[in-house]
Amino acid sequence: MMAIRELKVCLLGDTGVGKSSIVCRFVQDHFDHNISPTIGASFMTKTVPCGNELHKFLIWDTAGQERFHSLAPMYYRGSAAAVIVYDITKQDSFHTLKKWVKELKEHGPENIVMAIAGNKCDLSDIREVPLKDAKEYAESIGAIVVETSAKNAINIEELFQGISRKIPPLDPHENGNNGAMKLGKQTTQTSRRCC
Amino acid sequence: MADNLPSEFDVVVIGTGLPESIIAAACSRSGQRVLHVDSRSYYGGNWASFSFSGLLSWLKEYQENSDIVNESPAWQEQILENEEAIALSRKDKTIQHVEVFCYASQDLHEDVEEAGALQKNHASLTSANSTEAADSACLPTENESLSTVSCEMPIEQTPSSDPESALEVNDVEETGEKENHCDDKTCVPSTSEEESSENVPTAEDFTEQPKKNRITYSQIIKEGRRFNIDLVSKLLYSRGLLIDLLIKSNVSRYAEFKNITRILAFREGRVEQVPCSRADVFNSKQLTMVEKRMLMKFLTFCMEYEEHPDEYKAYEEITFSEYLKTQKLTPNLQYFVLHSIAMISERASSTIDGLKATKNFLCCLGRYGNTPFLFPLYGQGELPQCFCRMCAVFGGIYCLRHSVQCLVVDKESGKCKAIIDQFGQRIMSKHFLVEDSYFSENTCSHVQYRQISRAVLITDRSVLQTDSDQQISILTVPAEEPGTSAVRVIELCSSTMTCMKGTYLVHLTCTSSETAREDLEPVVQKLFTPYAETEIENEEVEKPRLLWALYFNMRDSSHVSRNSYNDLPSNVYVCSGPDCGLGNDNAVKQAETVFQQICPNEDFCAPPPNPEDIILDGDSLQPGASESSAMSEANSETLEESANLQNSETSE
Repeated sequence: MMAIRELKVCLLGDTGVGKSSIVCRFVQDHFDHNISPTIGASFMTKTVPCGNELHKFLIWDTAGQERFHSLAPMYYRGSAAAVIVYDITKQDSFHTLKKWVKELKEHGPENIVMAIAGNKCDLSDIREVPLKDAKEYAESIGAIVVETSAKNAINIEELFQGISRKIPPLDPHENGNNGAMKLGKQTTQTSRRCC
Repeated sequence: MADNLPSEFDVVVIGTGLPESIIAAACSRSGQRVLHVDSRSYYGGNWASFSFSGLLSWLKEYQENSDIVNESPAWQEQILENEEAIALSRKDKTIQHVEVFCYASQDLHEDVEEAGALQKNHASLTSANSTEAADSACLPTENESLSTVSCEMPIEQTPSSDPESALEVNDVEETGEKENHCDDKTCVPSTSEEESSENVPTAEDFTEQPKKNRITYSQIIKEGRRFNIDLVSKLLYSRGLLIDLLIKSNVSRYAEFKNITRILAFREGRVEQVPCSRADVFNSKQLTMVEKRMLMKFLTFCMEYEEHPDEYKAYEEITFSEYLKTQKLTPNLQYFVLHSIAMISERASSTIDGLKATKNFLCCLGRYGNTPFLFPLYGQGELPQCFCRMCAVFGGIYCLRHSVQCLVVDKESGKCKAIIDQFGQRIMSKHFLVEDSYFSENTCSHVQYRQISRAVLITDRSVLQTDSDQQISILTVPAEEPGTSAVRVIELCSSTMTCMKGTYLVHLTCTSSETAREDLEPVVQKLFTPYAETEIENEEVEKPRLLWALYFNMRDSSHVSRNSYNDLPSNVYVCSGPDCGLGNDNAVKQAETVFQQICPNEDFCAPPPNPEDIILDGDSLQPGASESSAMSEANSETLEESANLQNSETSE
């Protein structure tokens, strides 16, 4: 049995660039034109093999809190990677991408893996952002970049494979979660023993 | 603002403190359309936590008494004939007597800023107020040289030992101003720069010269993002209402927790560990065999005191401390039980109060560890954000930096029907929830407040050093004089993600008698020594050294009844700021009460479906034939897990 590593991935990018669609395609291989903004899904998971590990992605969606620039710092905590999405048919969304990167550097963990996704590449006839621009920018910040189409399932798997490859191997010196615990129904100890 | 807010909601929530955030989450979960706004640029109000530079910005705001009344479109002309307005306050008056002392060496020649840049505009992305965000730090270019220079610690630059003359508040503002020179765009550090500058100093400085790990002010600034400094200092009782709510609502999945590792007592000038669990009592070296038996017997009785009324009935009229004297307990043990386990007032608490508190403490033991308390990683300020996320996940709309000018009341029905926001937009709603600091003086003219005294210290070592330097401790220092109150001290280590490596973050809290400094400085002096005093080559100082200290008073409105506010319509609900207590039961109770008024008979924060259970398309969870083996493995794992989760849920 391969070891499972849980990796938190947060999604960033303007409202309407297709963040949720990318996750939906990746996790459930599904696309819906009228996907309602992220109701009820706090995060989705999918496990993929990488080398001799299994990477279980816990993909956090913004839950719409990006719309009025009100993402909470807790959103970024402990993320192994961030997918920053823009819409290749909207120059504006590429501009704000840079602000998202800045935000990520302020609030995100230091060694976070950054992946830029130029979504809606099925609409390249109305493209506003040349791939070259995205590549140059990605290189300047050490991010991976790929153009995707959640609608036509182009490069979605590749995006996450790329992230998987950039995740550094587990540091044996680091004892994982440094003793922090998650609380949940399953972890509740039933022993009521006191003194 | 690129996007306009919708103009109709079911519930408008003003303020993002813990109770408001819980209510927002509960309402949204029950299908209400929620708008949640805060005039500040960060989540949490007085429940917030800040990075070091974020805290400096916060301080600056209070010191400048910022009266920036940004001209908003007048709302008065929007009020119709059959309407009345309740103007809201534009200024926060809940924080007073802010005093800052820096004891760590300040290298004034260096223009140091926090690496990675982090500002009070926490969640901001807008360029609209980027001038405000301009103290957003740029990356220092001379980090390497800086850290070596500062290690030398020129003595003439260290502040004098006298706190009065120690560099105060003004210095802090100076730092802020320096930061202002930085142009937003040039601030974005490239990855490589950031990595090299962040990784070099800390790790190496400490390993190379473990004895001389003198932390300078510039290091604190530079490592500022490692700090998450809470305005309120609380812990979660492991069987308290908040833990139950976090688990029930599944909001717990957004946060991680650590157990408090030690309960400490301060007796006869010394800090010692209090044995409280069975294992502690047996392993304790400071207790004699006889004491161990006495303590075990007494604690066992407290667990089931209600079943033995004959044993305490006779003492109901006296205080718990008097009662303890009648029990077979040495003075040592009486002290531990009264101050560190029951944590109640020596003079004012009855026998029943004490037994109840002791029982509560004991019941919380063992659920998650050897002490009854948990602390959230990154600070208490995470919790409101977690509930806000739950609200957003169910469609709640979030807007920071958004102030509300007034509530609009319909004269005929006497009910509030809308708000008018800073842009003059009128937003209709059925219910309005307002955190009380947003009310104007007109509304609060009859309200009497209490105050909480707070101190935040950065120190260089623990108050009780042991093998492990990663301890999380709570210590109660009893009141010395009548009329004053006990001081609660919570010491956090760096693995709580609230302070930089090599430092401790210490929170002091008590009910105010005087200003925060007057109330708390005596305790600070007992436990710590100012950094500069130990400059003489004396490595083995007994007390931890103070690097930096902040004092402030926070308004406590937790006891204020709704009736004390003037003329509030029945569909306007009030939430108070943080109370002085250790736990969070007050906030949860408030939230549940208000929620029941807004949504009678609805389940309070029902658990959301598991993400694995959300099926957008019935077929999509079936591994398709065309998919790779990786995919099908992935999906089956997902299915299996969701099945497990469901089982555990239904079995409850």
